[in-house]
Amino acid sequence: MASRLARHQARWGFAFILPWLLGFLIFTAGPMLASLYLSFTKYDLHSSQWVGTENYRRLFQEDPLFWKALDNTVRYAVFSVPLGVIGSLAIAILLNQNVRGQRLFRTLFYLPSLVPAVASALLWQWIFNADNGILNTALGVIGIAPIEWLQNEQWTLPAFVLMSLWGVGGGRMVIFLAGLQGIPDSYYEAARIDGASPWIQFRRVTLPMLSPVMFFNVILGVIGSFQIFTSSYIMTGGGPNNASLFYALYLFRNAFEYFKLGKASALAWVLFLILLVLTFIQFRMSKRWVYYEGATS
Amino acid sequence: MRTLCLLVPVALAFLAGCEPDPGAGKTRIRYMAWGNPEALDLEQRLCDEFNARNPDIHVSFLKVPQSAYLNKAIVMFASRTAPDVVRIDHFNFPSLVRKDYFLNLSPLIARDPEFKSTDYFPATLDEGRYKGDIFGMNVLFGAILIYYNKTMFQKAGLEDPYELYRKGEWTYERMRQSAIRLSKTDQNGRPTQFGLILPPWPLTVPIVWAFGGEVLSPDMTQSRLDSPGTAKAFQFLTDLRWKDKASPTPSQAANSAFPFESGKVGMEFNWMGQSVRYRKVATSFEWDVVPVPRGPAGNPTILKGNQLVIYRETRQPEAAWRFVKFITGDYVERLLYVQRRRSFPTRKAIAGSKEFLETKERPFNTKAFVDSIANGRPLPINHRWGEWTNASNAEIDALFSGRSRNAKAVMAEAHRKAAKVLADEEGF
Repeated sequence: MASRLARHQARWGFAFILPWLLGFLIFTAGPMLASLYLSFTKYDLHSSQWVGTENYRRLFQEDPLFWKALDNTVRYAVFSVPLGVIGSLAIAILLNQNVRGQRLFRTLFYLPSLVPAVASALLWQWIFNADNGILNTALGVIGIAPIEWLQNEQWTLPAFVLMSLWGVGGGRMVIFLAGLQGIPDSYYEAARIDGASPWIQFRRVTLPMLSPVMFFNVILGVIGSFQIFTSSYIMTGGGPNNASLFYALYLFRNAFEYFKLGKASALAWVLFLILLVLTFIQFRMSKRWVYYEGATS
Repeated sequence: MRTLCLLVPVALAFLAGCEPDPGAGKTRIRYMAWGNPEALDLEQRLCDEFNARNPDIHVSFLKVPQSAYLNKAIVMFASRTAPDVVRIDHFNFPSLVRKDYFLNLSPLIARDPEFKSTDYFPATLDEGRYKGDIFGMNVLFGAILIYYNKTMFQKAGLEDPYELYRKGEWTYERMRQSAIRLSKTDQNGRPTQFGLILPPWPLTVPIVWAFGGEVLSPDMTQSRLDSPGTAKAFQFLTDLRWKDKASPTPSQAANSAFPFESGKVGMEFNWMGQSVRYRKVATSFEWDVVPVPRGPAGNPTILKGNQLVIYRETRQPEAAWRFVKFITGDYVERLLYVQRRRSFPTRKAIAGSKEFLETKERPFNTKAFVDSIANGRPLPINHRWGEWTNASNAEIDALFSGRSRNAKAVMAEAHRKAAKVLADEEGF
C-alpha cells in the first residue's frame, strides 16, 4: 500500500518537475553534449567536418592567444577571488554589527551589485579615465602620477581586479551575512567567559563556523572569475595588446566573430575541465580547513 | 460547458490580437536590415512605398539591432530561415558569399531589359561580385575623406584645406603642419584642442596607399603589412601623435573627450555617410569635407558599401529582385542621396546631377565626394578579414599606445601575425 502511495507521489513529483527537466535536457544538457561532439569537428554553422582531437592539439601546441587568454584569466582569478572573498567577509562582519541604520547600510552596500554589468562597465570606464577619472584624481591628492589604467597593458589587469571589488557587497556578502547570523551567540558568550579577545573570538569561533560558507563562496568565486567577459568586452575589447583578453572573450570571438564553432566548443570543454579539476582540488583541500558542525570526522 | 467557458475567452483574445493581413493574396517577401532609429524609419518608408507601387507584392521589414545583426543573419542563413532580401555589410560579404547563401543575380540581371551595368560606378558592382558573377547590389556606398572644422582653420589663420586641394597643395605634410598649428594646451599644459584624430583601422589604409604601401597582395591571400610604404605611413601617424602631439593619445581620447562634433578637433578621417550625423550634432561651428591628402604615391582613398543580397533558397526570386531593383533604383537613390544625403549614389547619373552637386546643406564641397570616389580603390576585404586584422591590430596598437615608436619593427611583427593567420588552415 505504502509503495503504491510512494509510486503515486513519485509520478506527481516527476510531473511537477517535468517543465524544468525538459528545459534542462533540451536547453542545457543537449547543447552541452552537442558542443562536446562539435569540439571534435571543424564547424562554421554551414558545414562540419570530423577532425578528431585536432582542435585540442592546435589549442595546446599552436595557439599563443589561447595561452595568453588563459594566463590573463588565471592571474585575474588569483587576485580577484581572495580579495573578493575577504572584502565580502569584512563587509558582512561590519553589517552584522548592531548599530543604528543597520538596514540602510545593508541596502546601500548591496546597491552596486544591482547595477547591470554593461552599465557598471561604462561607469568604470569613467572611473579609470586617465585624465579626468575619479580614481586618478584621488591618487593625485596623495601625489601619485596619473595611471593609464585601460590604455597601458601593465595596468589593465590590476584595473579589472580593482573593478571586481565593485561586487563585494553583492550576493556573496549576503551569504556571509546569513552565515554569521547562524552562529549561536552562546559560542561567543562562552568564549568571552574564557577571556577570549575579539580577535581570538573571530579566529576560533567565527572563522571555523563560517568555513562552509566561505568554501561555497570560494568555489563560486573561482568559477565566476574564470567566466569574466562583459567588462573586458565593453571596456577594452581585450586590448591593449591582448592584455585583457580573457578566456570567455577569446571563446566568444572564435564562436561569434570568426564562426569557428568547433574550436570554440573545444575551448568551452577545456574551461569546463579546468573548473572541474579546480573544484575537485578545492573539495579535497576543504577537508583540512572546512568545519561542518555535527559531521563525524 | 466548462471547456466552452475556457475556450471562448481564449478565442476572443486570439481574435483581438489579429489585424487585417496587409499581404493577403499577394506575393510576400521579407527584408532584413539594421540602422539607427531614423535610418530604420526611412527603410520602413521605402518598404511602404514599394508595397504601394507594387500591388502584387508585400514586403515586410525585419529590423534587427546592429550589435546582433551578423549573428542573427548567419544563424538564419544556416538554419534556412533567412529573409528573402538581406542587407550585408561588405566586411562580411566575402566570407558569406563563399558559403553559397546568396542567389546569383547575374541570370536575373541578364534577362532584365531595364538593367544597364553602365549606369553604375564599376566599383559598386565589383564589390558584389564573386567568381565573375554578381551576388549583391551595392547600397550605402561611400569613401573615406576628411571632415574639417572650417571655423577652427579660419580662427588659426590657416588656409582652407579644400582651397589647398583645389590648388593641388593638399599634401600629408601640409595636413601635418596644419594639425600642429591647430593643437593647443592651457596654462597647465593640458590639451584643449587637437589638430587631428588619428584614424582607426581600416581608415589608415588610404595613408598606407598614399605612402606607397600595401596591406594585402592583389589576390588578397598574403599580407603586405611589411612593405616599406606601410611602415612609412604608420611612422607618420605615430609621429603625429607622439612627436608632434597633434593628435590625442588613447587616454586623452578616452570616454569620447575629443570627438569631432565637440569643436575641439580640427580634422578627422571618416566615411561619407558620417555627414548625416554631423549635420545634426556638429552645429556649433562650420565644417566641410576635403579628399584625403596627396602622398608620394598619390591620394587614393578606400571605397566600401553594403550589399543587398537575395537568399539563395527564396521562393520568390522575381519579387525579391524587383525589390532590390527598387531600393537600388533611380527613385530611391535620389531620395537617399540627393534629398537625404545619406552617403553616395551608386549611379553615375545621380552623382553627376546638378541636384546632387549643388546643395544647401553641409557639406558643401560635394566635388570632394565625387573626386574621392574617382580616386578610390576597394578596401581589400577578404573572407578572413576579422581574423587577420584582429591579429595585426594587437601589434599596431603598440604604436598608437606609445609602447613603441618604431613603425618598421612593429609592422614587421604585425605582418608576421597576419601572415600566420592567412597561412593557417581555415576554420581552426
